[in-house]
Amino acid sequence: MAGDPLAIAGLSLLVSATSTLLSACIAVPLGVALGLREVGSQRLLRNLVFTLYGLPPVLAGLLVFLLLSRDGPLGSLRLLYTPLGMVLAQVVVVAPIMLGITMSVVATVERRVKETALVLGADRRQLSMTVLREAYAGIVTAVMVGFGRAISEVGAVFIVGGHIEGNTQVLTTTIITDIRQAEYAHAMLIGVILLVIAATVYSFLYRLQERAMP
Amino acid sequence: MTMALTLEGLRKTFGDRAVLRGVDLHVEPGAVFALLGPSGVGKTTLLRCVDFLLPADAGTVLFGGRRAPPDAPGQLGLRRRIGMVAQNPYLFRGTVAYNVSFGLCVRGVEGEELERRTAEAMRLVGLEDRGGAPAGKLSAGEAQRVAFARAIVVRPELLLLDEFTANLDPANVRILETAVREFQRTTGATVLLVTHNLFQARRLAARAGLLLDGVIVETGEAKAFFEDPKDARTRAFVQGDFAY
Amino acid sequence: MHFSLPRRWLAALVAAVVVLLSVGAYLSLPRAYLLMATTTSTQDTGLLSYLLPEFSRDSGVEVRYTAVGTGQALDAGRRGDVDVVMVHSPPLEQAFMDSGKGLCRNQLMYNRFVLVGPRSDPAGVSGATSIVDALGQIWNASARFASRADNSGTHNKELVLWASAGLTVSTFGAWYEKTGQGMGETLAIANQRDAYTLSDDGTWYSLEARLPFLVLAYGGDEPVLRNVYSVIPVNPANHTGILVDGAVAFARWLVAPRAQALIAAFSVNGRIIFTPDPIGAC
Repeated sequence: MAGDPLAIAGLSLLVSATSTLLSACIAVPLGVALGLREVGSQRLLRNLVFTLYGLPPVLAGLLVFLLLSRDGPLGSLRLLYTPLGMVLAQVVVVAPIMLGITMSVVATVERRVKETALVLGADRRQLSMTVLREAYAGIVTAVMVGFGRAISEVGAVFIVGGHIEGNTQVLTTTIITDIRQAEYAHAMLIGVILLVIAATVYSFLYRLQERAMP
Repeated sequence: MTMALTLEGLRKTFGDRAVLRGVDLHVEPGAVFALLGPSGVGKTTLLRCVDFLLPADAGTVLFGGRRAPPDAPGQLGLRRRIGMVAQNPYLFRGTVAYNVSFGLCVRGVEGEELERRTAEAMRLVGLEDRGGAPAGKLSAGEAQRVAFARAIVVRPELLLLDEFTANLDPANVRILETAVREFQRTTGATVLLVTHNLFQARRLAARAGLLLDGVIVETGEAKAFFEDPKDARTRAFVQGDFAY
Repeated sequence: MHFSLPRRWLAALVAAVVVLLSVGAYLSLPRAYLLMATTTSTQDTGLLSYLLPEFSRDSGVEVRYTAVGTGQALDAGRRGDVDVVMVHSPPLEQAFMDSGKGLCRNQLMYNRFVLVGPRSDPAGVSGATSIVDALGQIWNASARFASRADNSGTHNKELVLWASAGLTVSTFGAWYEKTGQGMGETLAIANQRDAYTLSDDGTWYSLEARLPFLVLAYGGDEPVLRNVYSVIPVNPANHTGILVDGAVAFARWLVAPRAQALIAAFSVNGRIIFTPDPIGAC
């Protein structure tokens, strides 16, 4: 009853890669800006972001579902039961995590290094770029964690995607339906494919991170 | 290009500890001035107030006879005319050349001029063929030399040195002191050298002063300061009567 | 140089995002196919994989579906997120039609509910004369029973049957276990825990080979054990973009002779499970 495994794996990769990259585009610049702020105002922001860490993906899925349903405020976009809708749901889950890690990593760039940049005459933008460079390894970690969350996510993509054959079937939702139909061997196979994809992406990202070692 | 530095009644308190209690100091343009004092007396605090890293509680700092501009871009412009080398190098992730050329890049220098000036600065500290070396793999002495080159490549008019050769071996100390002399000679910049090393102060400075208990106790021309100080406390300090 | 992102990386990042979003957008274009919400039980019988391509061949219209719980399927129809709904819960369907959310309703077919249980048959159900009798014996023996408890068609049928036996579900003891899940999961749980459960025969025959500790305990042919399937095109009056023509064509095709013959011929592991019973109001 499941569709073509290649198409399923491809869609998983497409949705997860898109949501990870989009989340990075939002979370990394925002995380650098917020991480550089003075400690006082940072505490409130930190608490807010950390609360979003605890947002269960299924809840994010429900919220996006209600948003995208024809009934809902963004219904005219017709994004429910589509890959883009799934990407949106995953961004809601992944972006806060990446934001939090980036903020932490930026804040812990050694204060003296930031001061040195200032002493050398860096303006705000140049300081941000320098800190980004110093925190590079940590930011790659944020991307790895974000991707991990995205590719293994099942609740939100099931609710928003609907696991429609030829459309919105991904590796994780296929495992769930396989189990429901007691097709355990197929589920294991899908699981192995998922792990292989994840491992490949991680090894690539890890290699990126290694370039950070000066 | 050079500038005078004047401090008037500078005060700074941390919590209930008053570190600077009204510091008055004047350094002539182009002079090399050694600020001495025991460890922890507030010399670093003073430098950090001068370079806008700490806001003073009271008092004024005059650069070339004028106060710092109140607006941020003005302050940034002034800051770019001042250089500082701290006790630890705090190098950026990257190569030696990346570090040395940092300040030039900040100021929009690029291309051939950037390469030329970077090479010149690295030559001054004896690292001309280490441009591609990663900053993390340098020895302590080499790293500090990079930090020095990074600070002076932009030709600051005022150079602040905060115990910049502390903990280094004699060979590296020699290289750095030669670099300071050469830099000062070619650019005529004003140099404020903070140190507790009397010998270094004697080697490098034309004038000296003693910071004690939050105020400047005495200043004077170097020879007179070290051999025949007027104040009893200065005498006790230069004679090594109390630990520093 | 120091303060701008390496051009190569920035270009690669932008290119990657643009490409990925474009592919995603292309895959998310407004659909040409008919979208149906149905139940997991319907999907689990395998009927749809067999029937839907036939409709496509005849009409040129592709039908895709999302399989969820009965409540969610009807809700998808209520919201206008799908064009047509196929469920098997007459009371809920009636409420759906009464509230004006459905355009019209075509009854299609029925399969049967069966009682499955452990080989050892602790409640002695094999000698039962009716389903009500069988359930009564289970209650007498306090034999473990797995209920879907998910407001599905099957679950609602189960509650009706307990009521017919004069038994009140809320008084049942710990032997009555609520799984809150679909048929496949509930059968798997019953299999692991040696419990009785009510299942539709389509799902049972599909999964029988993988449920070694369960057997068919009672499979009588009483009308009350019929699991009636209907298809309901969604009423386009409240929503834009419902592919109502396709939905109605689909509903009509399903009650027409060709589809009904296909349904009658559909077998799972060698057993015919559906009995055609068309009532075409669309």
